[in-house]
Amino acid sequence: MSSIPALSALRRLRPDRLKELSLVALIALAVIIFGLVVDGYYSGRFFNRVTTSAVIVVILAAAQALVVISRNVDLSVGSTVGVAAYLTADFLQNNSGAHPLIAVLIAVAVGAALGSINGLLVAYGGVPAIIVTLGTLALFRTLVSLYSDGANVTADSLPDWVIELNGSTIVSAGGFDLRTTFAVAIVVILGLQWLLARMRWGRRLYAIGSNPDAAAQAGIPARRLTMWSFVGSGALAGLAGFMFMVRVGTVSATAGSGLELQSVAAAVVGGVSILGGTGTVLGAFLGAILIDTLRLSLVRVPQVSEFWRDAVLGVLVLISVITDSVLTRRLSRRAGSAGVGNRMEASTQAVEPTASTAPSPITTPVGLATREESIDV
Amino acid sequence: MNPGPEPVLELRLVSKRFGATQALADVELILYRSEVHALVGENGAGKSTLIKIATGIYEPDTGTMELGGHVFDPGDPASAQRQGVAAIYQEPSIFPDLSVAENIFIGHQDRGLLVDRKRMEQDAAEVLQRLDIDLDPSQPAGALTVAGQQAVEIAKAISLDVKVLIMDEPTAALSAHEVDRLFRQVRRLKQLGVAVLFISHRLDEVFEIADRVSVFRDGRHISSRPITDVTEELMVREMVGRDPSEFFIRTPQEPGQVVLSVEDLARHGVFRDVSFDVRAGEVLGFAGLVGAGRTDVALALFGVAPADGGTITIDGQPVTIGSPTDALNHGIAYLSEDRRKLGLSMTQSVTTNITLATLDRYTLSFGLIDHEAENRDAAGLRDRLGIRTASLDTPVDNLSGGNQQKAMLAKWLNAEPRVLILDEPTRGIDVGAKAEVHRFIDELARSGMAIIMISSDLPEVLAMSDRIAIMREGSLQGIRTRDDADQESVMAMAVGVA
Repeated sequence: MSSIPALSALRRLRPDRLKELSLVALIALAVIIFGLVVDGYYSGRFFNRVTTSAVIVVILAAAQALVVISRNVDLSVGSTVGVAAYLTADFLQNNSGAHPLIAVLIAVAVGAALGSINGLLVAYGGVPAIIVTLGTLALFRTLVSLYSDGANVTADSLPDWVIELNGSTIVSAGGFDLRTTFAVAIVVILGLQWLLARMRWGRRLYAIGSNPDAAAQAGIPARRLTMWSFVGSGALAGLAGFMFMVRVGTVSATAGSGLELQSVAAAVVGGVSILGGTGTVLGAFLGAILIDTLRLSLVRVPQVSEFWRDAVLGVLVLISVITDSVLTRRLSRRAGSAGVGNRMEASTQAVEPTASTAPSPITTPVGLATREESIDV
Repeated sequence: MNPGPEPVLELRLVSKRFGATQALADVELILYRSEVHALVGENGAGKSTLIKIATGIYEPDTGTMELGGHVFDPGDPASAQRQGVAAIYQEPSIFPDLSVAENIFIGHQDRGLLVDRKRMEQDAAEVLQRLDIDLDPSQPAGALTVAGQQAVEIAKAISLDVKVLIMDEPTAALSAHEVDRLFRQVRRLKQLGVAVLFISHRLDEVFEIADRVSVFRDGRHISSRPITDVTEELMVREMVGRDPSEFFIRTPQEPGQVVLSVEDLARHGVFRDVSFDVRAGEVLGFAGLVGAGRTDVALALFGVAPADGGTITIDGQPVTIGSPTDALNHGIAYLSEDRRKLGLSMTQSVTTNITLATLDRYTLSFGLIDHEAENRDAAGLRDRLGIRTASLDTPVDNLSGGNQQKAMLAKWLNAEPRVLILDEPTRGIDVGAKAEVHRFIDELARSGMAIIMISSDLPEVLAMSDRIAIMREGSLQGIRTRDDADQESVMAMAVGVA
């Protein structure tokens, strides 16, 4: 047990909080190190660049977290971004007088509709999410190609507010701007974080991801929840599609491709376990910010040639993930026994192989237990 | 009797300890060439641990092992096999997509870089013929029956030239006809000079196939004798006889009204004709060997694997239970035997686990969770059950086994069930936690809950139950009151001697 109060306070934190804090620390560390290497690194311009560029991946990381928490994955988010961006842009070039909110609603609705296709197939069709969304990844992309017939929607055919929204700022202080799009992303993240923590369906999503069998025994309607998590992830991807249109201006049939893997990477770096049941939306957000900070900072380091940039980025991400998991594990492992005041507890936990791995005199031998345990549930 | 004087595998003074429990204590076992040696004992007697030590899965804490007169240090299962000791289990571990021949030769390193399929199949056919096994070497192993897959495993062992073959409950999933065929193969193995260690709960089979028999109890070696020197009664007497004094004494009380009544409950191919009732304030114990169908009955009552025949009555009203939600609505809760796999959400906090099945109670309008209320209830149960945890926010994964068990119990108690089914409630937890769980079961019964307790720990069932239902191979053998049940009579019913 530590005598340093700050450390023992850290250990009492929930693992998810710990994870978020360690990501903040890693981002700070990265900023400090790059600040030492790069001249004029601490500038409003760099901050603005990171926040504007991260918006799309941030929203997609939240979308991904929603499904990954319940032990699924959504690889179709990139294509959904493309469909939503294209359809919304197409709508705006034909209805330039439409209210911006209508455009947002269209993008979100398109995303939700596509998400419901994924949800139906995964939840009620019983097809693994990775297969379903790999399929719809290609399918959605093809649909937008066919619909667009290869024609782009160019920035000059869109209403002026679209372009203006990209640069619009809510508050500005000393060159540091809080862009409207980033503010929206923050609101989405915080809102979703709160909902997942406070709402019954959020709790149930975690339960399904953590242990589907235990969730079923607790009477949780897993199918319905899975379905809705995909609708939610699709809706968020639709919103990201709107952001894509705002940021890029010109929307082609390939808009948003490749974003699916970036969103998975951000969520996983952010502590959302691909095995389900752990992680937060805030963590996924921080994961997205960390990756984007590293990526854009590397551009500023002249010693790293463009050719090597991706490799260096990969290495940096790996280093931060490893540092982070070592840190989190060391702190949380002690958290279990901290404050218990009973060393025996901790040692029986370590030695006892648990019923599923080894027998003890009052335990059923594993090999003999198969018949009773192999009931088809 | 000629078991052959030549010892093949000799284990002496072997001990193994897991945490607080002594799985094996100074055990001795000697296998001779060309003999079938049966190993019998209650659940948890140490048979499995012994197999795992002999095949290199566990390392013994103390003791010596010799194979063919040389020190035997298996290290791992593959190396044990190379040195001449292999094991096959109730559920064969074959590769379903590979052919019979490929399965037989999967472990052989000396077949060159490229596979000569034709030659391999010829070799496989030869091995199969030596054992009188009628299988096509080229067919996929996944299409075979369990018996066929076992035959493949036996052939694999023979192709590896093993000296000792351990068979762990090989007949559990076989039909009578298939058992006969398996025994023919076992006799063939004997002729080939192999020592077979045969583990079975079925004593009639032991008498049919074994040359010698060893009894284990509580991790101790009790006896080893030629089969001709033993009777079934003697064997049963040696298998049981653990000291029950370490157990809790129930508070005597008159049970109340019948709460749950079950008639002719059945699930096709799993269990049949199960009839019993449980009263308020009563503990009905379920004894039997692993695989007797006790857990299946519980899963049917809890709606996880619903029954397809018979009736379930609660308070005199017939009910249908098709899902855990139905069961919970009728006041039935089930504490799973496997807390990691089925019981707890390991990554979730103590509170989250405790309120998982009762979340509706803590839901305000708009689906918002009332954190304060759930933390209050969770704290209440933590204190009541004595769950030791750093905080209610700690993931249950960080708790010790005993405290995880109590957290799982807290989850179902929070549902305030009228019938609580406890499946191996003290498995794998230390003595102190065990005593606490026992005390708590007594307290629940006194509060008027009807309790069904499945346990493979015979003294525990006898000490904790008002009545004991004994199951064997999917059917209920009978129900005894505590006063006219003892370890021997219950075990005799469980193994089908009585």
